Amino acid sequence: MSIFASSKDLINTLCSLWEAIKTNHEMSKQLIESKLIVQFRYRDPEGLLTVDCSDGNDMKIIVGKTSIKPIIEMSMKADVAHEFWLGKVNMPMAIIMGKVQAKGPVPKALALLPVLKPAFEIYPNIFKQVNKKT
Amino acid sequence: MYVNMQPFLFHSPTKILIGPDTALSIAEIISELNAKTPLIITDSNLRKAGIVEGIISAIKQANLPIHIFDQVPPDSDLESVEKAVQIAKQNHCDIIIAIGGGSVIDTAKVANIGISLSANALDYEGVNTITCKLMPLIAIPTTAGTGSEVSAVAVIKDKKQKSKLLFGSPFLFPDIAILDPQLLISLPPKLTAACGLDALTHSIEALSALTANYISDGLSLNSMLLMFKHLLTTIKDGSNIDTRLATLVASTMAGLAFTNAGVGIVHALSHTIGSRYGTHHGLTNAVFLPYGMQFNLDVAKAKYALAWRSLAAQEMEKYLGNESAITKYIKANKSEADEKEAAQHFINIVKIFIQECGISINLKSIGITNLKDEDILELANIASTDPAIMFNPKEASVQEIAKIIREAY
Ligand SMILES: NC(=O)c1ccc[n+]([C@@H]2O[C@H](COP(=O)([O-])OP(=O)(O)OC[C@H]3O[C@@H](n4cnc5c(N)ncnc54)[C@H](O)[C@@H]3O)[C@@H](O)[C@H]2O)c1
Ligand SMILES: [Fe+2]
Repeated sequence: MSIFASSKDLINTLCSLWEAIKTNHEMSKQLIESKLIVQFRYRDPEGLLTVDCSDGNDMKIIVGKTSIKPIIEMSMKADVAHEFWLGKVNMPMAIIMGKVQAKGPVPKALALLPVLKPAFEIYPNIFKQVNKKT
Repeated sequence: MYVNMQPFLFHSPTKILIGPDTALSIAEIISELNAKTPLIITDSNLRKAGIVEGIISAIKQANLPIHIFDQVPPDSDLESVEKAVQIAKQNHCDIIIAIGGGSVIDTAKVANIGISLSANALDYEGVNTITCKLMPLIAIPTTAGTGSEVSAVAVIKDKKQKSKLLFGSPFLFPDIAILDPQLLISLPPKLTAACGLDALTHSIEALSALTANYISDGLSLNSMLLMFKHLLTTIKDGSNIDTRLATLVASTMAGLAFTNAGVGIVHALSHTIGSRYGTHHGLTNAVFLPYGMQFNLDVAKAKYALAWRSLAAQEMEKYLGNESAITKYIKANKSEADEKEAAQHFINIVKIFIQECGISINLKSIGITNLKDEDILELANIASTDPAIMFNPKEASVQEIAKIIREAY
């Protein structure tokens, strides 16, 4: 049983989080400068989310299938994503245990980790708000 | 003792055959794996030195067809991978035999992705991206250092993008590793030293890694002891089969340790410098090792102290003689020290050992001159996102990494 009751809850939670990251000047500035396109593929429950910063101006958050080709693809169970945003995932251990798949240039994905750290603080509230509605 | 240890996984699916002339039983091993058409991947130096010929004739005697790709360059690249894939496809090869150092074995691993999955290997760049078993791969190392014969990773250059590509997956473990010391006799002293110190770096970084565990610690410590006892003799007399075998087994043990526990900041720096300046991987590790250890000292002191005490308990004079700098240092400092002091002794003895191997621990000595402060900062930035650094026991800021590069320069 996942912490998320459905795919809809998962996507609503993570979309709200990314919208919050987008409005946080410090985080969004560095993400846009990276010009990366990162796709998150979740399972149990399923969910697909793409964050596209490729034009260097804006951050687009795309839910579901898209023709945009990601530079990095991160795949994991939805619960691992939840733990990650709580700041509780030991990334090297998760990789060794095969819990996280990272396709593409791993150094670019690692460069994002410190940028996203402030999001660990806003995630618990977002999770609570979105998941109490349903 | 580990307190509140997280669950861990120790994965070591590679069957390891060890001993002089074991590589000559290759035909039996191919048949055990139900394969009929081998592709040998190797490099031209090894071919010229005649190292591969015994294995080729053993395969021919078994009436098996042979296809060979022998153009792997040091620090191999995607072009070599593609050439190997082409030969395998044209000839319907059903098993790969990699005979060489880390460059050859890594090429074989990545080529195996292209061959087995009929795909562009680049599409599998990253970690845990492969989801099914690949064609059988036999790895026969001719250097004692990388541990690639038992590891789940491979690194290949993309010359077009001027970057190094990392592939990491449990499906990249070779099926069989053959440790035949005869194949290493021709390895020159300098490479013997540099590769041996790559293995020592694996054991020390795996020992203090964030994800270290009881099993990897056992392998790391024993590997480290074997290297201290036998590497110097092997550098002096490369034809000593007993010490060749000991150092080869030590490097495989360190490979098993780091593929399960990770490496650290020394490898992150070595990957960065090696990729920019083309320096040998093991040699670059050797230069950074004492500085990386000193940086990690406060968080790794229990592990370094453990390593020092294991080393100090050995009768080193039996292996290195009474006049060796290693024996003398141990004798002079053997009496019980507190943990921090013991840990510092370990860093000191590692430094002495590297120097005894004929390597100066500074970047200038490996040809890196004219480093300006902006270069150092840029290199530190790159090292800060190298995957190896994830496993380092202590977080390092770009400024702290730059300081290590300055110290090593
Ligand atoms: N996959 C892994 O787990 C792993 C771990 C560490 C390093 N590596 C990679 O391994 C590579 C380095 O490998 P290496 O240190 O084994 O060196 P190498 O394979 O690059 O070989 C160096 C040179 O030694 C020569 N050589 C090899 N064996 C010889 C022998 N027996 N006699 C005479 N000459 C011989 C080769 O022809 C080559 O010119 C790097 O690309 C590094 O990134 C991989
Ligand atoms: Fe290494």
